[in-house]
Amino acid sequence: MQLFIRRYGTLIGFVAILVFFSAMLPGTFPTARNWLNITQQVSMLMVVAAGMTIVMVMGDFDLSVGSAASLAGIVAALMMAAGQPIWAAVAVALVVGLLGGAFNGAMVSLVGILPFIATLATMTMFSGLAFVVSGGKTISGRAIPEDFGNFARGGIPLGEWGGVAISLPNLSIIAIVVVLAVWVLLEQTTYGRRLYAIGGNMEAAHLSGIAVKRLRLIAFSLTGLAAAAGGLMYASRVASANPVQGSGLMLNAIAAVFLGTTMSRHGEPRILATVVGVIVLGVLDNGLTQMSVDSYVRQVLVGALILVAVAASSLSQRRR
Amino acid sequence: MAPPVPLLSAISVTKAYAGVPALSGASLVIAPGEIHALMGENGAGKSTLIKILAGVVAPDTAEITVNGERVGIDSTKAAYRLGLRFIHQEFNVVPTLSVAENIFMGRRYPRRAGLFVDWKVLNREAQRALDRLGIDHIDPRQNLGTLSLGDQMLVRISAALLDDAKLYVMDEPTAALTRDESERLFRVLREIRASGSSVLYVSHRLDEIMALCDKATVLRDGRSIDSGALTNITHDDLVALMIGRKVEEAYPKATAEPRETTVFAAAGLATAGLNPVSLSLREGEVLGIAGLSGSGQGELIRAIFGDAKVTAGTMTLSSSPYTPSSPASAWQSGVAYVPRERRAEGLVMRRPIFENITLAHLKRQSRAGTWLAPNREKRLAAELGANMRLKAVGPAQDVLELSGGNQQKVVFAKAVAGNPRLLLLEEPTRGVDVGAKFDIYSIVRELTAKGAAVILVSSDLPELIGISDRIAVMRRGEITTIVDAAGLREDDLINLCYGRAPGMVA
Repeated sequence: MQLFIRRYGTLIGFVAILVFFSAMLPGTFPTARNWLNITQQVSMLMVVAAGMTIVMVMGDFDLSVGSAASLAGIVAALMMAAGQPIWAAVAVALVVGLLGGAFNGAMVSLVGILPFIATLATMTMFSGLAFVVSGGKTISGRAIPEDFGNFARGGIPLGEWGGVAISLPNLSIIAIVVVLAVWVLLEQTTYGRRLYAIGGNMEAAHLSGIAVKRLRLIAFSLTGLAAAAGGLMYASRVASANPVQGSGLMLNAIAAVFLGTTMSRHGEPRILATVVGVIVLGVLDNGLTQMSVDSYVRQVLVGALILVAVAASSLSQRRR
Repeated sequence: MAPPVPLLSAISVTKAYAGVPALSGASLVIAPGEIHALMGENGAGKSTLIKILAGVVAPDTAEITVNGERVGIDSTKAAYRLGLRFIHQEFNVVPTLSVAENIFMGRRYPRRAGLFVDWKVLNREAQRALDRLGIDHIDPRQNLGTLSLGDQMLVRISAALLDDAKLYVMDEPTAALTRDESERLFRVLREIRASGSSVLYVSHRLDEIMALCDKATVLRDGRSIDSGALTNITHDDLVALMIGRKVEEAYPKATAEPRETTVFAAAGLATAGLNPVSLSLREGEVLGIAGLSGSGQGELIRAIFGDAKVTAGTMTLSSSPYTPSSPASAWQSGVAYVPRERRAEGLVMRRPIFENITLAHLKRQSRAGTWLAPNREKRLAAELGANMRLKAVGPAQDVLELSGGNQQKVVFAKAVAGNPRLLLLEEPTRGVDVGAKFDIYSIVRELTAKGAAVILVSSDLPELIGISDRIAVMRRGEITTIVDAAGLREDDLINLCYGRAPGMVA
């Protein structure tokens, strides 16, 4: 029974939240349109959290994802403003994220700096770089090609529901693709198996012939890549880029992964659990906004929820 | 005359983990002023019983009395207040603090003016605690992390002996100690007994128990099978009690002589901690490595396994040059390794058995080296498990839930899964019970029969003599001599380890 609550407590809480909002907002909350809207609202966080899951599987984490997302958005916007084609801007921004992540990985695995310190430092560096290259200005308006902003507004039509045309947003599709890719990587490949081994016992993994340093470096690179993708999605959604727009992503991404860990057997991160974590955060945000709860109150509630979920799972683990 | 009130009694103790019984009606009665052995195979319930006494695990049912009074031990604090002290296999120490600080951990530091830590007094008191064990080679101001594992254990023991308690519970205290250190510990334990306190002593080393303990309680499958004085009982009787059947031989016989072909050779091999060493192994041969702890055995193994920078010398494996750059390349060349500390170095405790076994062989146990094939892995794990009598629910069970001996079998399964040409073993049966030991030796024999060579580092001298064909003695980072194991006597081997001629009185 205790084990049941520990494993499924977060899911039960999630269902309770759904029931609560459906009862409070019967006309607007449990509708297909609102749900598709939620998938779009959480899509950026989903992509960044999926990337975060990769390093957290090894027991590491990356504080620089928010700054990396901002930097990627700025780089793409600047290139587009300079008249470069969209595909080139996107590609360069993704490469910037990948290289930033690789830099984190090098600091952590080759130099041996603790992830907390290394990525705290790069968080500041990436953020500073975003200000330097952009001159601290928001890049928006005619500098951004219409097609880039239209992408986030578009989607695949799903027909009509209750007389309203609904569609699956492009951003949601990207999030689904990224989650699937990370799922395959972590759950279906030898690479993922090795990451979990590193997270469980780094020394045993090393002595079992796992190239710990190289794998850690690759994992951080992928997290950086995902952060850049999240930043680009954000920039497309608001059709502009400013040097701080990714700053909220990091804490929420870590929170989502932690929420997810309360659902796994030994508290290890799992990508599908992270998905639930992201959706919990997204639904709370969506529902509370609709109930016009003040955004600062929302922050308090979300923080409290994370504490309750993680506390419940660690308390029931303590005494066997 | 009424029997004396026991110091501690725990009657009808039961405990089940998720429906699986670990203890089903075990009882333990300890009189004041005795050294009491708690015996049994891994998985018999010893650790669970100790954890219950320590207040770490809550029993399902139990009647526990201390000095005749009913008590409930619901926390480690409660156990401490009742005068129970626990010295565990897994050290709980802080390596970055000094020896003295570790000894005083959890106690009030001596103060000056009630405010500042009086380091002088602290270090002096710590020195006195060490003196009690006759330890003069450890400076209390030294960082604990700089000490060898054996020395760290000595510090732990000195700390537990600092204040007078009623009962000291020691779980494999000598596992990391040298003979001299063990002897000193035994002297102190006898002093404790003379002062009226008692010791509950857990060990797989029967000789130690026979020499040291007054009484013993034997657990098997969660029940106390027998309890009584250790006079008039033989070594073999005890073993039979523990495993529930008679054991004919401690070591399985070799089925074949080593062959002529050389599998592995090292010439002038040296690293930072290893003076030039030369040795060679033939197909089917077991080379034992003896020596006092820290004589370079670990460095030799690490050099062969590609985990240390080789500064000089060459190695060959099956007559071709062998230059491992990492454990990964060692595994690929067909060199397998069973590390000294199975929890810290051998296993990913919270992952299933099959994942642990295939961890070193994922390239071959997957599709195209990339895509996991869990069914194939589980089949392999089940096959290897059955072959070495692994007791587990199935290949998907987490290693964490297995007993120590079965955990070690998983480490062995990982090592042999790739049919290695050379197998490196470090303390392969430490903390492993008699039955599992025999199974593990059988694995080694099976492998050598197929032509593999084995290097065995062990501080268990009977094991070294029983399993090895030849034994190399290491001292101060080099091999001083290599002798035939057949007919070698234990005390001769000890003398060789101390750098004395065999035949001298130790």
